[in-house]
Amino acid sequence: MPVNDRETVIKVENLDKFFPMKKSVFSVSKHFLHAVDKVNFDIKRGQVLSLVGESGCGKTTTGKTLLKLYEPTNGSITFLNRDVTHLNSAEDRKWFHSRTQMIFQDPFESLNPRKTIFDIVSEPMNIQNFGSLRKREVMVMDILKRVGISPPDAFLWRYPHELSGGQRQRVAIARSLVMKPEFVVADEPTSMLDVSIRTQVMKLMMDLIKEMNMSFLYITHDLAVARYMADEISVMYLGKIVEHAGSEELIKNPLHPYTKALISAVPVPDPEFRRTSVNIKGGIGKPIDPLPRCRFYERCPFAMEICTQKDPELIDVGNDHQVACFLYEKR
Amino acid sequence: MKPLLEIKNLKMYYDTQAGQVKATDDISFTLNEGESMGLVGESGCGKTSVSMSIMKLLPENARILSGHIYFDGTDLVPFSEEQMNRIRWAGISMIFQAAMNSLNPVYRVGDQIIEAIVTHEPNVTFEEARERVGSLYKLVGLDPERMDNYPHEYSGGMKQRAIIAMSLACNPKLIIADEPTTALDVIVQDTILRELEKIQKKLNMSMIYISHDIAVIAEVASKIAIMYAGKIVEMADSVTIFKRPAHPYTVGLMSSFPSIRGEKKDLVTIPGEPPNLLNAPDHCRFAPRCPFVTDECWKQVPPYAEVETAHLVACFHPQNLRKQVSVNASK
Repeated sequence: MPVNDRETVIKVENLDKFFPMKKSVFSVSKHFLHAVDKVNFDIKRGQVLSLVGESGCGKTTTGKTLLKLYEPTNGSITFLNRDVTHLNSAEDRKWFHSRTQMIFQDPFESLNPRKTIFDIVSEPMNIQNFGSLRKREVMVMDILKRVGISPPDAFLWRYPHELSGGQRQRVAIARSLVMKPEFVVADEPTSMLDVSIRTQVMKLMMDLIKEMNMSFLYITHDLAVARYMADEISVMYLGKIVEHAGSEELIKNPLHPYTKALISAVPVPDPEFRRTSVNIKGGIGKPIDPLPRCRFYERCPFAMEICTQKDPELIDVGNDHQVACFLYEKR
Repeated sequence: MKPLLEIKNLKMYYDTQAGQVKATDDISFTLNEGESMGLVGESGCGKTSVSMSIMKLLPENARILSGHIYFDGTDLVPFSEEQMNRIRWAGISMIFQAAMNSLNPVYRVGDQIIEAIVTHEPNVTFEEARERVGSLYKLVGLDPERMDNYPHEYSGGMKQRAIIAMSLACNPKLIIADEPTTALDVIVQDTILRELEKIQKKLNMSMIYISHDIAVIAEVASKIAIMYAGKIVEMADSVTIFKRPAHPYTVGLMSSFPSIRGEKKDLVTIPGEPPNLLNAPDHCRFAPRCPFVTDECWKQVPPYAEVETAHLVACFHPQNLRKQVSVNASK
């Protein structure tokens, strides 16, 4: 079935997440860090969307807000045609959280060192009060086998410190997928792993996504990884999505100056290849009370007067490719 | 070209309660003046142990069992701590992993570099040292006026530049850069790598780059050594390594990297995990993961063989492999 005809699993409209900046104990904060600013996207069933950006660009905050680990400031989130922006009743929360999951970056910190592998993987079922102990055991064994922990019964009563980094991340993935979630946010799940292990885990996740027909938000700083994992890529810069397209389209035909810089900055494993050097300066700032103008303005080699006057909106340039840059606006 | 650093059959083991950890086992290589070399391997393969042995910054339980480290013609292995102190910084300096965090937060950045100069060159006055720091700042692309700032006023990339300036402070002949850009974002990483390459050529220094990222090494090093489980398994100039890799591990490592260039290719995974170096076995250490393994590999450690001029490989089946690779490529 073509992606466009599939059911939309999660839809985000004008999502904002602002964090107040602490001033002092007595004054109310008047300054806000705009971590996520008017973000829109939707993810269809079985689809993987990758959110790419440098550290501090708000990609993790977006993921956490989506899973309601943060309360959104403005905007709406629709999950399976139900508004989940504010989950007020316990029943709603249970409904939502039993269908969504998160995979964290660091498998050394995300597993409780004092719990056995069985306890860790069966925890979501305990929280959701799901099934009998016998059923839980079967499900834990199943998912462990599926993520490549074999033989699973040899690992059930071990502790995280007895496992290698790759095995831990497999256990973390098993924990996230044991309840067969419909939507998963994976936050840099392979960036802490070694090269040879990383490919194994990436392949495993791709297989599982296909097999379980899950929708994925894959957060990464690495465009090459995003290309392999995702159907579509959104590039984020200081809380805003600056470009969105299908992954091959975005890699082969980047439009936004920031995306172009990101792509040309990726080192190439070929000593005879000479890249054109990146022509943007400086580092990423902090979007505290940002002015209504392009946030990339200071670093952009193509900055124009209009860029300081208003915020560029995402515009469609055809081929399902959107970009927020005045260079592509028809005037 | 004159050899600057010659390492011959270096064996450095850690004594632990559980047994001997063979972190660097029979390592040999030569680095010429003005040459840059890359040491590539996954975490725990002993690449940092090699650099720490060269600097003799070893923990108490580490022992250099045998071998020689000739720097500028003299063997550093029998050197006392006092003698080593004269070599460190002035002869060989080091950019450590996550060096940005190695700046002392309560001292001005410039003063920390001045301190390094004055300690190693007692007849340099404070003013002279300050002047030198100013010119070093210009060399690494920092504004000399920022000398009097504290580390927290620097961005990650600026801190890394300051660390590079510090490593250059006493005009060393050799710089060892241990994962110099691992914690940085891609765009900053790109500018830092360019800077290092430029400085290395300008000052005709020798560099050893240590990284897990083969693409980073491809960009900066003219010669590459691939390490696996405490041993160098393949060594050649970088073009040869990339065009005609001969060791199965090197081949696996290269094809397991997702690439952003060219057409999307399937990733190849190396099965299994790197071995524990505790009581490492007396056979090829890659044998359990190798697709080309034969009985021979389980019986003894493969010796280094020159498969072509200046291309060393420690593998019993490099030739077979090359045919295999070309068969795959022609498919």
